[in-house]
Amino acid sequence: MPVFKVCLKIFRKNWLSVSIYIVIFLAIALLISATSVSERPTTFSQKKARVAFIAEEQTPLVKGFRKELSRSTTIVALPDQSEKLQDALYFRQVTYILRIPKGFTESVLSGGKMQLEKTVVPNSIENTYVDLNVDQYWNLARLYAAHDPGISQNGLASRLRANLSGTTPVVMKTENAAKTSDSFSMFYFNFLAYTLSAVLIMGISTAMMVFRRRDLRMRHYCSPLKQANVTMQLLAANLLFAGASWAVLVGFCFLLDPQSIVTMNMLYFLINSLLFTGCIASLSYLISTVLKSLNAVSAVCNLITLGTCFISGVFVPQEFLNSTVLKIASFTPTYWYVQANTRIAKLTHFSWDHLAPSLYSMLIMLAFTGAFIAIALVIGRRQQATN
Amino acid sequence: MFAHIFFYRFKCLIRDKQLVFWTLLFPILLGTFFYMAFSNLNDEESFHPIHAAVVPSGNSHYDASFVEVLRSVSKGKNRLFTMKTAASQAEADRWLKAGKIDGYFSSGETIQLTVNESGLNQSIMKSFVDQYRTNSAAVAQIAKDNPNALQNGLLQDLSDRRSYVKEVSGSGAEPNNVLNYFYVLIAMACLYGSFWGSKEIMDIQADQTERAARINTAPIHKLKAFIAGSLAALLILFTEILILLAYLRFGLKIDFGPRAGFVVLTALLGSILGISFGAFISAVVKAGEGLKIACLIFVTMAGSFLSGMMYQNMKYIVSQHVPLLSWLNPVNLLTDAFYALYYYDNLYRFALNAGMMVLFIIVFCAGTYLIIRRRKYARL
Repeated sequence: MPVFKVCLKIFRKNWLSVSIYIVIFLAIALLISATSVSERPTTFSQKKARVAFIAEEQTPLVKGFRKELSRSTTIVALPDQSEKLQDALYFRQVTYILRIPKGFTESVLSGGKMQLEKTVVPNSIENTYVDLNVDQYWNLARLYAAHDPGISQNGLASRLRANLSGTTPVVMKTENAAKTSDSFSMFYFNFLAYTLSAVLIMGISTAMMVFRRRDLRMRHYCSPLKQANVTMQLLAANLLFAGASWAVLVGFCFLLDPQSIVTMNMLYFLINSLLFTGCIASLSYLISTVLKSLNAVSAVCNLITLGTCFISGVFVPQEFLNSTVLKIASFTPTYWYVQANTRIAKLTHFSWDHLAPSLYSMLIMLAFTGAFIAIALVIGRRQQATN
Repeated sequence: MFAHIFFYRFKCLIRDKQLVFWTLLFPILLGTFFYMAFSNLNDEESFHPIHAAVVPSGNSHYDASFVEVLRSVSKGKNRLFTMKTAASQAEADRWLKAGKIDGYFSSGETIQLTVNESGLNQSIMKSFVDQYRTNSAAVAQIAKDNPNALQNGLLQDLSDRRSYVKEVSGSGAEPNNVLNYFYVLIAMACLYGSFWGSKEIMDIQADQTERAARINTAPIHKLKAFIAGSLAALLILFTEILILLAYLRFGLKIDFGPRAGFVVLTALLGSILGISFGAFISAVVKAGEGLKIACLIFVTMAGSFLSGMMYQNMKYIVSQHVPLLSWLNPVNLLTDAFYALYYYDNLYRFALNAGMMVLFIIVFCAGTYLIIRRRKYARL
C-alpha cells in the first residue's frame, strides 16, 4: 500500500502545525475542568453580587447594614481610588460600587432625602438585585425611626438584624435538569468543534493537496495501480487520520470528566462528534480540490474554523447570539453540531420524542457531508477532464 | 535615490498577498466574527422582568395581601416580574419544567419559593419574598414597641417605599467590557505588522535572501536603504490599521471615545512599534525565516492572550497580580491605551502607555541598528 504509506508520512511531517491546535485545546480544557464544578448543587444557594463597599462614616447602622448586605453580596475589598474602582467595574470584578456619604445615617433617621451613591453596570441584573436589598434595609430603618421614637442606633441595628434574619424556604427541582446539562462534557464537546475542524482541515487538506500536484498525479497514472485502488488507499489514510484525531481528542474528555462516561448522554455526544468528524473530513477534502497553493491552507483553515465557530455558538453559547447571526450560521455544519450537543446535554429521557430534535440536527450534518463529497467529486472530475 | 528605493520597496511589499491577508484581511474578518458573536453579550447582562408565577393557597387571609404586593411590582415598564397566576401547583410545575417561568411562589402562612436552579433571577425572587416576610416582622415589632404606631400611619409609611440609592457615573463612558476584544484585536493587528519589519531585515541582510544580496551590491548606504524600506513598510501597515479602525468605527460602530486624534496617534505608535519589533526580533534571531515567524507569532499571540483576547478578565488578572508584565507586554500597552482613551476622562494613563511604547520603539530601533550596522560579507 505505497500511497497509503506516503499519505501517513505526510501526516507525520505535518504534525507540528496540527499539534499546536491540540495543545492549545488541551490547555483550555484543563483550565475549564479546573474551574468547573463537578457536583451539581441539590439545594438552593443565593447568588451573590460582587460589590465594592466604601463607607465615609462608621455608624452602628452602617456596620449593621454592611453585615446584612454581605448575605446577598460578596463585598470585594478595593482601595478608594477612582481608577482602581473603574477598572474593577469594567472587568466585572465588581458590578456595583456603593458609597455611603458622611451624614447619611443621620439623614435617614431624621427623614431626610440624602441618598447613597452607586456606580453600576447600567441596567444590569445585579443592579436590580443589590438595589432591592439596600432599599429594604434603609426603608425599615426609616420606619423604625419614624414610629419607634427614642430607639438608639444600636437598638435599631439589633432590631433590624432580628427582623432580617431567617430565610424563605426554597424548593429546588433538581430532577428537571440532566446530569450533563451545562456540564464540563458539554463545553468540552462544543469546543471540540474548533479543534477538530482545525486539525482535520490542516491535516487532510495539506496531504491531499500534495497528491494533487500534477507531476505526482502523472506518476500515479503510469503506475500499475488502478485509479480506484489509489483512491481507496487515500480514503483509508484520511479516515485513519480523522478517526485517530477524533479518538485522541475524545479520549481526553474521559480523563478529565470521568463522571459523564456512564451517562447515556455521553453515547450520543460520541455519535454526534463522530458524524461531525466525517463531515469536516469531507469538507477538508473539498477544500483541497479548490485551493491552488499550499500557503493558502493555513489562511483558509483559520477563516473557516474561527468563522464557523464564532457564529455557531462554540465560543459564545447559541442562546447569546442574535437571530440573524444564527440564521447565517445554520448554513454551516458546526451550527447543527453545537445545537445537537446542547440538546443532548439536556436530555433526561431517551425516548424517540425526546431524541428526535437532536437526531434531526445530526441528519442535517449527514446531508452536509453528502453535499461536500458530491461537490468535491464533481470538481475532481472536471479537473481530471481539463488535465 | 531614497524615493526610488522607497517606491520599489513599496511595490515589492504590497505584492506579498499572504502578508496583506494576515495583516489586513484577517483582523477585519476576526473583528466581524467578534462583532457577530459578542453583540448580544451586554444585553445578556441586563435586567429583564423575571417570568414568575404564584400559586394561591386558597386562604384569602394569606393570599390577598401577598398577591396585591406581587401585582404592584408586576406593573409598568420598570416592573420586577411578569407574573402569572397558576390554577394549581401541578400547573406551575409544568411551566417551570418547560422553562416558561424562572420559579414560582406558593402563598400561605409561610411563603415558599420553587425554582429549577440557583441563578440571579431566582435570588431576586427570594430577596423579594424575604422582604415581604421581614416587613411583616418589622411591623409586628414596631406595633409591639409602640402600639400607637398603627394609628399613626405605620402601614402607609411601609407601602411608601423610598429609593435610597442614586446612580453616579464613574466616568463619561459606559463600562462596556466587550470593547476590550476589539481593542486587543487592533493591538494584535499592529503587532502582526512585525511581519513587515521582519521582511525588511531579511531583505537587507545579504546572507539571508537573494534580494538582500542584490541590494548590498548596490552603491548606496545600507542604513539609507533600510530606512527607505522600513518607511514603505510603515506606510503600508499604518494604512492597513487605519482601514481596520475605520471599519470598526464606522462599519461595526465600535466606540473609541471622543478623542479621535489620540486614537489615530495610538494607531501610528502601534504601527511603528509593530515594525520595529519585527525588525528587532528578525535581527536577533539568526536562524531561518520559519523560526523568526514562529517567534513573532508566539509573542503576539501570548501578548494578546494576556491582554484579554481569549478571556477578557485576563488583562485585569495580570494587572493585579503581575503589574510588571502588563507594562512589558506591547500588546497590552496598545490595548490599554485604547481602553484609557475610551474609559478615562483624563489622559494620564494614556500618556503612561504611550510613553512606554515610545521607550520600546527606541529600544527596538537601537537594538536593530547595533546588530545590522557595518555587517560585511566575505562572500555571497
